[in-house]
Amino acid sequence: MTDAAPQQSPTGWRRWALIGAVALAIAGLAFAIGRFSTFGSSGAAAAPTNSSADAGFARDMQVHHGQAIEMAMEIYRKTEDPEIRVMAYDMATTQSGQKGEMYDWLVRWGLPQLGDTTMAWMTGTDTGHDHGEASDAPMTDEEMREAMGMASPAELTALQQATGLEADCLFLELMIRHHGGAIPMADALVELGTDPRAIEVAASMSETQAFEIDAMESIQARLGCSG
Amino acid sequence: MTPTPPQKRTSGNPATQSTIDLTVKQQREQKRQEKLAEYQKQLAKRRRSKLVWWVVGVVVAIGVIAAIVASIVFAPEPPPSFDPGSGDGSSIEGLETFENTATHVEGSVEYEQTPPTGGDHNAVWLNCGIYDQPVPNENAVHALEHGAIWVTYDPAAVSSDELAALEDQLPSSYVVLSPYDGLDSPIVLSAWNNQLKIDSADDERIGEFFTAFWRSQASPEPNAGCSGALDAPGKQS
Repeated sequence: MTDAAPQQSPTGWRRWALIGAVALAIAGLAFAIGRFSTFGSSGAAAAPTNSSADAGFARDMQVHHGQAIEMAMEIYRKTEDPEIRVMAYDMATTQSGQKGEMYDWLVRWGLPQLGDTTMAWMTGTDTGHDHGEASDAPMTDEEMREAMGMASPAELTALQQATGLEADCLFLELMIRHHGGAIPMADALVELGTDPRAIEVAASMSETQAFEIDAMESIQARLGCSG
Repeated sequence: MTPTPPQKRTSGNPATQSTIDLTVKQQREQKRQEKLAEYQKQLAKRRRSKLVWWVVGVVVAIGVIAAIVASIVFAPEPPPSFDPGSGDGSSIEGLETFENTATHVEGSVEYEQTPPTGGDHNAVWLNCGIYDQPVPNENAVHALEHGAIWVTYDPAAVSSDELAALEDQLPSSYVVLSPYDGLDSPIVLSAWNNQLKIDSADDERIGEFFTAFWRSQASPEPNAGCSGALDAPGKQS
């Protein structure tokens, strides 16, 4: 009955009221559609929380990467071995980039860079390290360093003071252990994480650091380090 | 009009017969009634269609209002604000905030705050760590620029137990801990452009300050390193 509109021509104000009402309805509908269209983009994937694995990984891996950069820059400055030098350059720049990206995750998630307990996010995973059996006491700095394969202050000092082949071999030993600590952390995030990009980055870290361990072991063999 | 035949005709059909039976007057009356009925039918139809349009209008209006209400009521939570990690420590009681330049210079610099929270500084940054001697301002300020927090204490006002308690609260990197001469408070926490003076190591604002400022966006270069440069004398770890 589309032709059932008032057959006498409506008086002026009635026509304008009708047009106004229709325009208002269209505008209102457009407003609502506009709001609906933003729903998915901002709220669909809730940002990881302060105690999430994603946040713990982003924090702890930045600390971990920070030390790798420090060691790589140290050997880059003084090594005579072109293969170690280019590898150190590669590691320092790659890990600086990843560290910056992890920094920004926390910024975007609205979380502080500093968390409560280092490595707490990994407990309960297959790859998590067992500590102190029934003890719930937080790990000491030293235990955490050990769990993450990180170098102690004394080892860093030794790396700074070493020269030549001794320095190259110490670097390889420390960095192989360091990478060996990163891989379980990255694997734990792949298991526990929620942020798709964080999981993607962790998976690629796990893969590339395993390749780098192979490469470093072959340099160790070439230099005859193990002795 | 043909004159009425003197003799009414008859019909076998009862309907026709009943029409024939009516008088002219009756026939006129009937026509009038039919017209009236037709008119009333039209009127009712028009009224009905008007009603339909009202119903459609009201339904559409309700639908639009419902859509607007739903778009507001069911809107997802806005993403969390950058409050805690953004270097906004405005909720920390007693926090002082400054504006500083950041040029690389040679030699010593006169700083406006004690200890400095920023300003011109040496090209070589101080390596983060625990120091048991005062460290050079010009290098420490460069560490602040990289997002470190400089924890300074008055050795005359802080016991060794309290110093150990303070040290226990510090993260493993991006922190400089050092004694400082001429502090007007036992412990002073400094981040780039921000400072908090406190009396003891059990002040809970220490945690708040670190949450707000440790490697925060308030510092100019929060992703640069805090190692690989200058180890000043007195570095313990």
